[in-house]
Amino acid sequence: MADVSVKKGLTKGVIKLTVLLGISFLFLFVLGKLLPTPTEDGYRVFPLIGSRVWVWIIAQLHLNFAAFVLGVPIFAVSMEFLSWRRSDERLDRIAYDFTKLFTLAYTITAAVGTLLLISLPVLYPKFMDHMMKILGPTWWLYIVVMYVEVMVCYYYYYSWHKMKDNKGTHVAIGGLLNIMGVIMLLITSAWVGYMTTPAGVSETGELLSRWKAIKTHMWIPLSIHRLCANVVFGAGIAASYAAYRFIVAETDEDRAYYDWMGYTSAMISIGFSLILPGVGYLLGVEIYSFNEQMGIQLMGGFFAWLWVMQAILIGAILMFVNYYLWISLNKMPGGERYFKYVKYLFVTMLLGYAVWLTPHSVALSLDEARKMGTYHPVLGNLGVMAAKNTAVVITYLATFLSFAIFKMSNKEAVVSWAKLGNALRGLIVIGSTVIVLILGVYSYMVSSAVRVKILSPIQFGVFFLAIVALFILDAKMFKGAKILGEPRWGKMPERSQYALIGITVTFTWLMGMMGYMRSGGRQYWHVYGIMQDTSPDAFLPTHGFASVVTSILTVIFFALMGLLFYGIMKLEKKGGQGGAKA
Amino acid sequence: MQKIYPIIAIIGLVISISSVFKKSPFFNFVGLQILIYGLLKSADYIMPALPAQVILMYMAMSVFSFIIYFSIQEETFKAFLEPMRSLFADDNKKFLRLIIAFIALPLFAGYLTYAKVKPTYDPPVSARIVHPEPPSQMDFKGKTMNVLGLENPLRKDTANFAKNVEEGKKIYYQNCFFCHGDDLDGKGHIADAFNPVPLPFRGTDTIAQLPESFVFWRVAKGWRGLPAGSGPWNSSMPSFEDFLTEEEVWQVIMFIYESTGNKPRSWE
Ligand code: HEC
Repeated sequence: MADVSVKKGLTKGVIKLTVLLGISFLFLFVLGKLLPTPTEDGYRVFPLIGSRVWVWIIAQLHLNFAAFVLGVPIFAVSMEFLSWRRSDERLDRIAYDFTKLFTLAYTITAAVGTLLLISLPVLYPKFMDHMMKILGPTWWLYIVVMYVEVMVCYYYYYSWHKMKDNKGTHVAIGGLLNIMGVIMLLITSAWVGYMTTPAGVSETGELLSRWKAIKTHMWIPLSIHRLCANVVFGAGIAASYAAYRFIVAETDEDRAYYDWMGYTSAMISIGFSLILPGVGYLLGVEIYSFNEQMGIQLMGGFFAWLWVMQAILIGAILMFVNYYLWISLNKMPGGERYFKYVKYLFVTMLLGYAVWLTPHSVALSLDEARKMGTYHPVLGNLGVMAAKNTAVVITYLATFLSFAIFKMSNKEAVVSWAKLGNALRGLIVIGSTVIVLILGVYSYMVSSAVRVKILSPIQFGVFFLAIVALFILDAKMFKGAKILGEPRWGKMPERSQYALIGITVTFTWLMGMMGYMRSGGRQYWHVYGIMQDTSPDAFLPTHGFASVVTSILTVIFFALMGLLFYGIMKLEKKGGQGGAKA
Repeated sequence: MQKIYPIIAIIGLVISISSVFKKSPFFNFVGLQILIYGLLKSADYIMPALPAQVILMYMAMSVFSFIIYFSIQEETFKAFLEPMRSLFADDNKKFLRLIIAFIALPLFAGYLTYAKVKPTYDPPVSARIVHPEPPSQMDFKGKTMNVLGLENPLRKDTANFAKNVEEGKKIYYQNCFFCHGDDLDGKGHIADAFNPVPLPFRGTDTIAQLPESFVFWRVAKGWRGLPAGSGPWNSSMPSFEDFLTEEEVWQVIMFIYESTGNKPRSWE
């Protein structure tokens, strides 16, 4: 095994980071001297595409990579922990593969971060001065944490095989890595939080309390939201990596492994995405309580159309997920017995999707508006929250069922009460669906406060209860069950892998658009209500323009990811399995 | 014209059913899409016609989802692709290939072009934001008011509730009903003359979604207060601060909520 020694790896990591930081400070210094002094109100203009689009693309790319390198360690380390407890080789391999991915992605992350680091002070000197004045110390802390994080990360990666017999410590190092990651996330979220929902400063932007400027309305909810989304996103990227490796694999063994890796990553991704709506809701509440106007603008005003788009895309993602699970039945011995249920799940998904994407306000021609008024008497009812929540909960339930069916498709229960168990399962599924539907209809009749604070949580509660009940039931029922055969990993049609890639691309694009929205919430302010944006770009771009920018940067992101995948494969060819040379 | 849509739906159904017997998933797919399109388009037998945007969204979803559905099982997917494969590859399909390449596709492209450039006299489709964000402050006859968190002072005066609603009713029928309708359904005498049309107050879509502070702002400022995304240049909603007192505005608001059975939105 051509393992680079731990020490060498560490040194390399530190040098890389220092060089990048060094370059950026040098550049800042030189550019600061070379470029014309900023305009009177404190801006320089980036050539051709303008400062905003440039910083937009770089920042979003950096965020994507950062999300990836912070999200993946969370489940990589969890996997390693499991592999250690269960002494499972395959789990160890997958954990190592995840680690390889994020460790090697560090370099690109830092490089893009360097670009951002140079761009912001050069293009927006006055704004950055203000940020330094208010949150300066966090910035130094950030650099320190970054160094520690990179060192821990490289140590964790390069010592993998060395510490094989010392797994406990190695897992603990992984834990430390995640703690560092969370601190980085908290620091960066504090910056964005301050820009969007500032606190701790006077109206003229003088610092009153640094802690208050950090602990803004948005800080914690944004951090939690990002943390969950990072896992969803990181696991999604890992799934598309596996899908890519599956498609290009040359041996059955590789195909089997990457099939399994893709499946595992996708399930992690989807599992975590179940909590995103709830966390997103918390974030929304905080924004409302900071400033109702900003809340209305984000939820119902200028950005309302983005929610329609979000609904379309999330619906597509859920469809893809179910599709992947349904296709997976092909590889289960005994899976064919369950195809007959797919029909019903499909129809449920389709109806749920239809309700979920029905927009509340619609773009109308004059003729249409004359005939039906501004709101369609029937569709209007499907466009409101009461219908959406119900549809989401039911599609989630269907998705969980697809998963459950996949899990049990190669088993045959032998317990004496199997018949009763099946009946019970049917009862739970139908019962919870009916309850959710009744609650949904009932929520049309109550005030919005009751709906939001009582009925919707109950709906989600019923859903979680149902899946827990099903989970326990299945665990009991299939205990010691007759196994019809192991899953034939690797026996998947290629198109299923494109579904995995589709999920991740969609998610990345969506993340970009939601970022545009969060940023747009500030309107013409750098720091909302405190420091006005007086640059030529101080207007909100149209949604069309934003989606073009987002599309372009999604393409750039996946091109860079492709480069990373390619690099990994080349390394493996060179150095065999463990070939770790970054 | 609309009479043909149910027929289209039936044709789709027939294609779909017969291809189930012939075991041809591809034509089943085609039939289903035709059926769904026909059904969506014939919705106007039981309700106002569905807007084109919504039909487009539903159809895109349906095409996407059904392709997914027909590609789950290996054999089905193979059979699904079969007609396309044979069209491109089979020797005995040469003639059909030529027809499609040189007649059907050009005709279709021609039709699309025609539909695109055909002159119409309709104003462009508007993606108007119906409930835009209000400003945080406004000026009401020289008095500065915070719009957000503004409360209706008359609600506290429970003793005179009925009297206030009664006053509001008078104000409504003197000022609003030409546009917003006798039945508060947005179908006033002159409603048809306007685009965007006056909004109804019944149903769950309009004032039921709004806090009273928002409604106060809308009634007081009318079209003039709207931000650009809501096209103030189009709206005919008058600014009633020129005609009504603050109290009268609150009274009419109480009336429109009371008589439609809607409750103002609140966050508590
Ligand atoms: C000249 C016709 C006209 C008159 C008279 C009129 N309105 Fe309107 N109103 C409109 C139109 C058109 C709209 C929709 C366009 C818009 O939002 O500006 C509207 C919108 C509204 C809205 C916004 C509803 C929502 O969901 O956003 C409220 C509230 C309202 N009107 C209340 C009133 C009240 C109260 C009166 C009488 C005091 C009144 N209007 C008189 C034409 C009118």
